Amino acid sequence: MTQMVTALVRLRSALQAAELPLDLPGAGALRDSRSAMVDQLEDYVIPRLMTLDAPLLTVVGGSTGAGKSTLVNSLVGHRVTTPGVLRPTTRSPVLVHHPDDAAWFGQDRLLPDLARVTHSTNDPAALQLVATTAVPAGLAVLDAPDVDSVEERNRQLAAQLLAAADLWLFVTSAARYADQVPWGFLKQAAERSTAVAVVLDRTPEEAVATVSSHLARMLASRGLKDSPLFTVAEGPVDADGLLPPAHVAPVRAWLESLAGDTAARGAVVQQTLQGAIRDVARRSHPVADAVAEQALATETLRDDVDRAYDEAVDAVNRACADGTLLRGEVLARWQEFVGTGELLRSLESKVGWLRDRLVSVVKGKPQQADRVTVAVESGLETLILEHAEAAAERAEAAWRQNPAGRTLLERGERDLGRASRDLRRQAERTVREWQSDVLDMVRTEGADKRTTARFLAFGVNGLSVALMVVVFASTAGVTGTEIGIAGGSAVLGQKLLEAVFGDQAVRRLAERAKRALDQRLRALLEGERARFTDLLDEQGLVPGAAERLRDAARKVDDQRFAARQHGGVAAPPNAQERTT
Amino acid sequence: MTTLLQGARKLVTRGTGLGTRIEALEVAAQNARGRLDDALVDEAAAAADRAASRMRLSARHTVVGIAGATGSGKSSTYNALTGLELAAVGVRRPTTSWASACVWGHEGAEELLEWLGIPPRHQTTRDSMLDGRRDDRQLDGVVLLDLPDHDSTEVSHHLEVDRLVQLTDLLVWVLDPQKYADAAIHDRYLAPLRSHREVMVVVLNHIDTVPEDRREAMVADVRRLLVADGLPDVPVYALSARHGIGVEDLRGEIAGRVRDKAATRTRVQADLLSVADRMAEQSGEGQARSLSEQRVRELEDALADAAGVPTVVGAVERSTRVRGGRATGWPVVSWVARLRPDPLKRLHLDLGDAGRQLTGLARTSLPATTPVQRARVDTEVRALADEASAGLGRPWATSVRRASTSRLDDLGDRLDAAMAATDLQVDRLPWWTGVVRVLQWLLLATGVAGLAWLLVLAGLAFLGLPDVATPDVGGLPVPTVMLLGGVLLGIVLGLVGRFLVGATARSRARTADKRLRGAVGEVATELVVAPVSAELAAHAQVRESLAAIRRD
Repeated sequence: MTQMVTALVRLRSALQAAELPLDLPGAGALRDSRSAMVDQLEDYVIPRLMTLDAPLLTVVGGSTGAGKSTLVNSLVGHRVTTPGVLRPTTRSPVLVHHPDDAAWFGQDRLLPDLARVTHSTNDPAALQLVATTAVPAGLAVLDAPDVDSVEERNRQLAAQLLAAADLWLFVTSAARYADQVPWGFLKQAAERSTAVAVVLDRTPEEAVATVSSHLARMLASRGLKDSPLFTVAEGPVDADGLLPPAHVAPVRAWLESLAGDTAARGAVVQQTLQGAIRDVARRSHPVADAVAEQALATETLRDDVDRAYDEAVDAVNRACADGTLLRGEVLARWQEFVGTGELLRSLESKVGWLRDRLVSVVKGKPQQADRVTVAVESGLETLILEHAEAAAERAEAAWRQNPAGRTLLERGERDLGRASRDLRRQAERTVREWQSDVLDMVRTEGADKRTTARFLAFGVNGLSVALMVVVFASTAGVTGTEIGIAGGSAVLGQKLLEAVFGDQAVRRLAERAKRALDQRLRALLEGERARFTDLLDEQGLVPGAAERLRDAARKVDDQRFAARQHGGVAAPPNAQERTT
Repeated sequence: MTTLLQGARKLVTRGTGLGTRIEALEVAAQNARGRLDDALVDEAAAAADRAASRMRLSARHTVVGIAGATGSGKSSTYNALTGLELAAVGVRRPTTSWASACVWGHEGAEELLEWLGIPPRHQTTRDSMLDGRRDDRQLDGVVLLDLPDHDSTEVSHHLEVDRLVQLTDLLVWVLDPQKYADAAIHDRYLAPLRSHREVMVVVLNHIDTVPEDRREAMVADVRRLLVADGLPDVPVYALSARHGIGVEDLRGEIAGRVRDKAATRTRVQADLLSVADRMAEQSGEGQARSLSEQRVRELEDALADAAGVPTVVGAVERSTRVRGGRATGWPVVSWVARLRPDPLKRLHLDLGDAGRQLTGLARTSLPATTPVQRARVDTEVRALADEASAGLGRPWATSVRRASTSRLDDLGDRLDAAMAATDLQVDRLPWWTGVVRVLQWLLLATGVAGLAWLLVLAGLAFLGLPDVATPDVGGLPVPTVMLLGGVLLGIVLGLVGRFLVGATARSRARTADKRLRGAVGEVATELVVAPVSAELAAHAQVRESLAAIRRD
C-alpha cells in the first residue's frame, strides 16, 4: 500500500513538472486534463489511499436547477443548504456528515485547498461542514455546485469535487436529462468506473414512466447500466423547502444500507479509487506524449532559428571571403590608395620613404588608408545588417508556420520579424572592433620591426588596410574575372605585407584576422538569435519530463497489478452485487 | 400588381444604404483575401452572400426563430403563438429534431422557405384572408420557426440551430427557470450575438412553476445575466405557454417588430457590422501613405548601382572618346588608338541596331552584382516596404513585405535585360567628326604633297638640275608652307577634335546615365513599386469599404 502511495506521489510530481507551455493543437485540453489529474491525486486519490476506512463521501452533483440542494436537504431532513430559484444557487459546497466522523474531514485529509467553515457562505473557496445525526455514520453527503451554469468557478469546483467523490449522486430533471454537459461528466465517470447513482428529480408524475425509461436506456447505452436510477417525483415542498419524506425514501434507504454495510462501502470505495488510479495512470500517457511533442516542437523551432542565422553567418562569411567585397567602393579606395603612390612610392626606396614622411608631415596622416577603412566598414555593415534582417525574417516566417511558434511570437511584445533596433550601432561597433583587432595584430607583429623602414613607411594604418584586403581575398572561391580584380589587389597587398613581415607571418596574420572577424560576426548574430531562443528557454520545458512521467505512470500500473495479484487490494466487485 | 410592387421594393432595397453596404463587404472580402485571416475573409464573404440573398427574397416576410434549450418549451411557445397544436410537445428529450415553420400570408414566401431549408412537409400556412382572427392579421408576414435544441446530446440539433440562427431576422430565445443560467446558451449564443441585440427577444418560459412572489426576482436575475452578456436592452418576457401567461405580450412584441418591417434589415445590418468590426480590428485603423519619391529614388539608385550603371556609363564615355579620337585624331597617330579595345564591346553592350540584333537578348557581361550591392538593394526594398506599411495592421505589413519581395528573384535577369535593351546611342559619331576627318586627310594630303614637292626640289638640286622657281607665300616657299601647315594644322585640329570629342563623350555619358536609370527605374516600378502599390490599394479599398459599412 505504501508503495502505491509512493508511486502516486511520484506520479503527481511528474505530472506537475510536465508543463505544456506551447500552444500546440490539443495542448489546451491536455493542460486541463493534467491539472485535473494533479488535483484529483491531491484531493482524493492519495488521501483516500492512506485512510481507506474513512467515511464514504457521496457528492451530489448535476446541473443547475435540477434540485441538488433540495434533495440534500430532504435527505438530511432539515435545511442545511440554501435552495433557491435564482441560478446558480449553490456556490459554496456543503458537506454533511455524522458528528462521529468529523475527524475525517479536516483540511489535512480531503480537498486541502478549500477552507473549512461552519456557517453558510457564498465563498467558492470554502467548504461548509455540517455535523448532524441525520446522516448515518460512515457516510457523508456533499452538495456540490452545478456543472453547467454561467459561473465558471462553479463548473471548475464541481468538477474538482466530483473527482474527489467516492460515490456520485448525479441529479438530473425531466427538463435536463438529455443535456450534453452532464452527460460529458457521466461519460467520464463510466470511463473511470466511478460508482454513480442517478437521481431523476423534478419530474411531473405523468412523465415519470416515459422519462425514466428513456433515461435508463441512455444510461445503458453509455456504459452506466449498473448504476442505480432513482426517481423523485415533483411534489409540494414544505416551508423549509423540503420534499415529503416519502419522495426521497428510496434514495435515503439505499444510502443508509450502504453506510451500514462495511463490506459494500469498502467495495464502492475500492471501485472508485481503483478506477481513479487506473484512469490517472492511463491519462498520464497522452500528457507524456504531449510533453515529448512539446520538446520536439521546441527543437524544431530552435532548428528553424539556427538554420536562419547560420545561413546569415555563412552568407556574410562567403561574401567576405570570395573577394567580392573588394569590388566597388573598397576596390576603388584601395586602388586610389595604391595608385596615388602612397603605397608604391614607398616601396621604391628610402628616398620614397623620406619623401612620404615629408608629405605626411605636411599633409597630416595618410588620408587614403582611412578611406579604405571606411569603405570596408560600410560594406561589411551593409552585409551584416541585411543578412541579420533577412535571417530575422526567415526565422519569424518559419515560426509563423508553426502554431506553437505563432503564439510565442504573439506573446512576445517585440516584433521579432525585424533585426533588433540597435543592430546598426552594434554592427558598426563590431566592424570597428575588428578593425582595431587588425590594427593591434599588425602593431604587435611589427613590434620588433618597428625600426624597419618599410614598416614605418606605411605606418600601421596602411599595413592593416593591406591585411584587410588580403583577408577578403585570401580564401578560396575566387573565380573568373574576380581573380583578375580581387586577386590583383590582394597580390599587391600580400607582396607588401610579405616584404614587411615575411610570408609565414602574413599567412598567420591573415588567418588570425579572418578568425577574429568570424568570431565577432558570430557573437553579433548570436545576440540576434538569442531573441528567439530566449523565448523558447523561458517556456521552462524540463528535459526528460516526458520520460519521467511515463515511468511514474508505469510504476503505478505495476503496483496496481502487483496488488491485485497479491489480493492486497480487492478487485472492484460488480456494482450490481452492491446495489441489490 | 403584387409582383410589380415587389419589383419596386426590390429596386428600393438595392438603392439603399444596405445594398451599398453589402457590396462594400463583398469588395472588402475580395481585397482582403490572402491578406487577412482566411477564416475571417471566408466568413465575411459568406455574410455578404447571405445578406445579398436574404435581401433578394421576400421583404414582406420576417423570419422569427424560436430557439432555446431542450425542455425550455420552444415548441409549446410556438404552439401558443400559432394557436394550433403544430409542434409535438413531449417530456422525452430532445423532443424536436427538425425545424418547422408557420407562415402567415403565404404569398411570396416559398422561395424564402426554400432558402431557409425548411421542407414543405414542415411548413404550415395561416392565411389571414381566410382566417379572420385579429391576432392572425396582426402577425401577417411572419415566418415563425421552431428550432431544435442547442444543448442536448444530439449534436445534429446544434448544427441545425447554428445554421438557422444565422438566417433568422428576429430571434426569440426561450429560457426556463431551471436552465436560464446555463453556460451552454450564454457562452455559445447570447454573448457572441451581442452585435445582434436589436433583433433579439428573450422569453422566460414556465413562469407558472415559479412562486408568484419570486417571479420578479427571477426576471431581474435573467436581466442581470443578459447585461453580463452585453445585451442590456433586450426585452425579457415572462411567459407560460402552457397557461397562456404573457403570450399576448410576446405576440404583440413580435407583431410590432414585424409591422415596421425593419427586423430583416436590422438583422442583416447587424450581420454586416459584426463581421466588418472584426475585420477592421484585424486590419488595423491606420491609413496607408503613398510611397515617397525620395524612397523610390533611393531604391532606383541602389538598383542602378547593382545593375552596374556606373560601369556602363564610364564605358560609354571612354568608348566615345576612343572612337571619336580615332575619327578626329591626327591620322598618322590615330591608328595606334585602334589597338585599344572598345570598352563597350568588352561589356557586350549596345553597339547600335545591328549590334542589338546580334546581342540584344543575350546576357551582358557586366560584372555580377556583389553581395554588398545586393544587400543594399534588399535594404532599400525593406525600407520601402517599411515606409509603405508604417501604421498599418500586422497582416498588412506582412502582405506589403511579401509583395515587395515577391518578384525580387527576377531582378537580376530583368535588370540585365533592361541594360542590354537600352539604346546608348554610341554607334554613330556626330556629323562634324566626318568633316574633321575629311579635313584631317586633306591636311595630311597637303602635307604629303608639300613633302613630295620638296623632295622633288631636293632631287632636282641633287642632280644639279636648274632650280625650278617655286612660288612663295609671304616669303616662305609654298611646299614648305604646305608641309608645315598640313602637319601643324592637322595636329591642332586633332587637339581641337579631342576636346570636342571629350565634350561629346561627357554629354553622351550623361544621356546614357539618364536612359539607363530610366530603364532601371522601370524595372524597379514593375518589380517592387507596383506590387507594393497594389497592396496599398487593396488596403485602401478594404479600409474604405469597412468604413462605409461601419458608418452610421
